[in-house]
Amino acid sequence: MIRGRYAIPAALLATVGIFGLMAFSPSAAQADSTTPTTVASAAGGYAYPTPTSTTPTTSPTSSAPSGYGTADITLPDSFIAPGQALFDASCASCHGADAAGTSRAPNLQGLGAGTVDFWVSTGRMPLAISSIQATVKPPRFDRLQTLQIAAFVQSKAPGTGMPIPIVNLSAANLEVGGSLFTLNCAACHTITGAGDALAGGAFAPSLHLATPTQIIEAIRSGPGDMPRFSEGNLTPTEAHDIAAYVHGVIQHPEDRGGFGLGGIGPVGEGFVGLLVGVGLLMLVCFWIGERT
Amino acid sequence: MIDSSLRWVDDRLGIAKGGRTFLDKIFPDHWSFMLGEIALYSFVVLLGTGVFLSLYYIPSAHEIVYHGGYLPLQGQKVSEAYASSVGLSFDVKSGLLMRQAHHWSADIFLGSIAVHMARVFFTGAFRKPREFNWIVGVTMLLLGIVNGFLGYSLPDDLVSGTGIRIAYSILESIPLAGSYLGTFLFGGNYPGNGIIIPRFYLLHILIVPALIVGLLAAHLGLLVKQKHTQFKGRGKTEHNVVGSPMFPTFMAKTTGFLFVTTAVTFILAGFAQINPIWQFGQYEPFQISYAVQPDWYMGWLDGALRIMPSWEFVGWGHTIPLEVLLPAVIFPGIIFNVFFAWPFIEARHTNDLAYHNLLDRPRDRPKRTGAGAMMLMLMFMVFGASSTDVLANFFQVPLNSVLWFFRIAVPLIPVITYFVTVKICEEMRGAEGIGKRKPPNVVHRSASGEFSTVPAEARPGDGHEELEAVPVPAFIDMVPADLATGPGIRRVMR
Repeated sequence: MIRGRYAIPAALLATVGIFGLMAFSPSAAQADSTTPTTVASAAGGYAYPTPTSTTPTTSPTSSAPSGYGTADITLPDSFIAPGQALFDASCASCHGADAAGTSRAPNLQGLGAGTVDFWVSTGRMPLAISSIQATVKPPRFDRLQTLQIAAFVQSKAPGTGMPIPIVNLSAANLEVGGSLFTLNCAACHTITGAGDALAGGAFAPSLHLATPTQIIEAIRSGPGDMPRFSEGNLTPTEAHDIAAYVHGVIQHPEDRGGFGLGGIGPVGEGFVGLLVGVGLLMLVCFWIGERT
Repeated sequence: MIDSSLRWVDDRLGIAKGGRTFLDKIFPDHWSFMLGEIALYSFVVLLGTGVFLSLYYIPSAHEIVYHGGYLPLQGQKVSEAYASSVGLSFDVKSGLLMRQAHHWSADIFLGSIAVHMARVFFTGAFRKPREFNWIVGVTMLLLGIVNGFLGYSLPDDLVSGTGIRIAYSILESIPLAGSYLGTFLFGGNYPGNGIIIPRFYLLHILIVPALIVGLLAAHLGLLVKQKHTQFKGRGKTEHNVVGSPMFPTFMAKTTGFLFVTTAVTFILAGFAQINPIWQFGQYEPFQISYAVQPDWYMGWLDGALRIMPSWEFVGWGHTIPLEVLLPAVIFPGIIFNVFFAWPFIEARHTNDLAYHNLLDRPRDRPKRTGAGAMMLMLMFMVFGASSTDVLANFFQVPLNSVLWFFRIAVPLIPVITYFVTVKICEEMRGAEGIGKRKPPNVVHRSASGEFSTVPAEARPGDGHEELEAVPVPAFIDMVPADLATGPGIRRVMR
């Protein structure tokens, strides 16, 4: 048993090890993100694919049904009035009463309902604190209220900007999505979607809690430092393939092989290898060797 | 029966004499002498798991269509190297366990070499007559790092491919010879003709391990020839060795330790995921992921590259990329040359040309201990610099601030560490009775409430009776019974 003489190093190692594991566990890495239930309930109107096992995985040779990903949500005019009330209460102080922007916040006219939906449904808007980059929070508004606000902003410049896409991933192609993700997204969001720091205090957020609708809205609107991908860069079908890959593979990775150590690669692995591996073996040395 | 067979062999090969020396080899019992064994047994685990992996891994960049157990990859064109590595993780029974054990074992192998090297350094075990063995050890460290990098590159996944790309750029940064070296190794301009995978494979499983095995034999042979060092203590002199003989005591202990090392490696392999290459995808030279780091033992090189300002020399039609050359070629070159030359640097500095079989306590050599602490701190800081992005993201501070923190801290903090360590050593040496067992005190409280302290009476076991040094014959079976100094402990003359 652990006797007094090496109880202290043992306790130290155990503490450091446990904190190391906690620090690199996925839950800690996403502590500031919204809870999955909130985001999931806030975004409806599309079919969730289940993880990889049942998602239709067609090979590139078999032609996927074309034309998916082109439909958009049409917001009824009856949403505009309640949307205006919500906008006046929560947004107008910075964006101005008619969403034309002030010295404190940009003009929203012409950005489209999809852009508004992205910022509000991820909880980034209303801002909690003015910083370099807005952070994900539990959304302030429910799904209906979000759509009402989007309808109001849309009504200021009808027919312009990005509409809210109708997302149906059932026909999407995971393999195409995977290679498009690696080519277009991994350079900032990392190949595991864990996100990472960028220059100048900005960061690429984790993708692990984003809904497919939000992913497509982000691709099309380019929030913050993210580039905006037009339909010339990525067709509607390709955007849906990426969303399907993020949802089916990035968010539900095949995580065999034990604890995932946060998906941040060799930094976490090195800590575990040195503290747990070498540390444990050194304790064994200490145990079976002479200590004076 | 056994006796006569052994006699038959001995009559022809004369192995009894050498076997006697081996079985009677004395191992000091201090725990810090077992750190090198972690490396030795990790190497055994590496060889065993490596043989398993080589049965299934295909060292080829040839493109095939993937049809394996990992669904998102179905029907994609991947290299055979990548497909077989993913196959090891999904389709081969216990393949993933073996892959992860191999990788964890590599991390532990190099970690234990570092710890072992620190023990040898801080106790002065590298001094005359053991400079050779120090050089052999440093060479094995270098080869271990190289082989770790080669093995990390073999799966041909996105992350390791990025590492090969960096290695190529480092080669290219060497003035004059760089581009030729790169072309020579890769068989053309990067990424070559897919020839790098089989070449790395050959180096990884044959050439470098064979070199390590040879050096390992030299390392252990010198250890037997020169005998172990030992810590100072009553009965321990420059001219004897006190400890357990190879047979039976140490053999039992060390065999058990082999099993424990294997067990810890496989526990990690079973419970902690390492390098999930199927999540990274196939390497394509035009693709990149963010948050790419090498394994920890390469991290210090990566860190030096990251914090280097982008300096460049352009002139006479040539570009010398100092931002790569200095941190990735010159810096590790200096570090390893200091490692190799340290025994001679120190001997020159101290004019100490005597034989040393007794070890120093680190505090008794403040400058050496300070230098060692400085080097460890430098390595730790540069290693930290290899995760600037992870740190910035985790602590939610700007990446540039983290970068500038390391640019200042990497040169500064090791120097502070040196002076603080030297000071601590000097204070420890000057303190009265430090390191000695202190007699316990008994606190009395009188009826009127007054406290008083008196030293407690010595209890059995408080006073240590050290054994006197007695010269004994060199072979165990000649040791008189009255010289047995404790369970399994022997002392022999050098």
